[in-house]
Amino acid sequence: MIETVTKNYDTITNEFCSYQVTYVNSNRVKSVPLDEANTDYQLIQEWIAEGNTVIDNGGGE
Amino acid sequence: MSYIGSKPADAVLETDDIADGVVTTSKLADDSVTNPKLFTGSQQNFRNIIINGDMSIAQRGTSTSSVSTTQYPSLDRFQMLTQTAGSAVFTVSQDTDVPSGQGFAKSQKIDVTTALDPYASSNFTNLRYIMEGQMLQYLKKGTANAESLTLSFWVKSNKTGTYIAELFDADNSRQISKAYTIDSASTWEKKTITFAGDTTGTLDNDNNRSLDLRFWLGAGSSYTSGTLNTSWNSSTNANRAVGQVNFADSTSNDFWITGVQLEAGTTASDFEFLPHDVNLRRCLRYYQFVASDANKDLCVGAYYSANSILGSIQLKEVMRTTPSIDIETGTSYYASFLNNTVDTLNTFTLSSSSHNKSICLVNSTEASGIVGYASILRANNVNSYLAFDSEL
Repeated sequence: MIETVTKNYDTITNEFCSYQVTYVNSNRVKSVPLDEANTDYQLIQEWIAEGNTVIDNGGGE
Repeated sequence: MSYIGSKPADAVLETDDIADGVVTTSKLADDSVTNPKLFTGSQQNFRNIIINGDMSIAQRGTSTSSVSTTQYPSLDRFQMLTQTAGSAVFTVSQDTDVPSGQGFAKSQKIDVTTALDPYASSNFTNLRYIMEGQMLQYLKKGTANAESLTLSFWVKSNKTGTYIAELFDADNSRQISKAYTIDSASTWEKKTITFAGDTTGTLDNDNNRSLDLRFWLGAGSSYTSGTLNTSWNSSTNANRAVGQVNFADSTSNDFWITGVQLEAGTTASDFEFLPHDVNLRRCLRYYQFVASDANKDLCVGAYYSANSILGSIQLKEVMRTTPSIDIETGTSYYASFLNNTVDTLNTFTLSSSSHNKSICLVNSTEASGIVGYASILRANNVNSYLAFDSEL
């Protein structure tokens, strides 16, 4: 079960490039690409559609 | 009258002449059967649609306990799909209990560790195998020439009774269910089920989920209250698992399965054993375990800046889609060896340049090195774990 979703920004381009997902009661983390065929990406979109909020800490240095 | 092996040579063979067991090896001279006569079907090699049907590959580990949510717990390509608010809890493992003399070395075992009886109305548990649409175009689903599919598998459980096997077309929300019976407790039994071809609903020709094979293990009344749907129809939940026993009703219950084969046609052929390396490579399209434990190499890295390290990994097989990094995180779980020092790291993320053939790992949080220096990236803790996941 998803606990948090945070935007990752690319080190080189500083563009939003992936999601970092944490799960309830788990040290397992997923870094999820912005690829609509990726099922983790699909689950994040469902999680967002349920009213949850993605954390965005920005990508600046 | 049988004419095999006797004159007249131009006699027409009749059904009795080629009945099962009549044409023995001794009646066929060497080289008398040429390659074009060996088969007329569409799929001889790789006829088994199910990857890892012999349960030989378990990249994620050979056992996972506390399985109560949807996940791939152990065996590659086989998902525990749970919708249990209740909740039933399972241990799923790769096991050496197999049907004797059939050539199988491994099975998948599902052990109930927290019972649930009954399931709430909208709850269920499935062992699910998901197929890409582009792998199934030869089945001609949605056309007048749609192929039947025959499922065969070996199963064993102390929980006897009626179970449901289902094909679910996710592209068109259509399904067909068939019941089978585990007759004898704790005895391996081979089951064969044929599903008619579906002349409605074509499968998308892409890399997304199109067809599920589901082995039902328990279901609430929302899935059992109707009449079992044994021909292809638009999905109605109440008709999907009618008669299904509740396998999860006791912590004494165990369920083993192996030799899962799904193939075009109306008969089950012998299980198609593939070499271990071929089986593994097919699984790598969906999941690639890289390393766990301490002091295990990941890849070569380089410091893009003093506080940012990148590491590139060429994937062992082209994956279904750009994978997620599946990583266990913790203090100093990973390490970068450079310039006679060790730079410890907690995790990695995915760079924007990653794709389904190559991945770039990034750490810009704990990294502290020397810009331009190369390093060796390693797993650095017994609990570290890194894999790439593009499962369906």
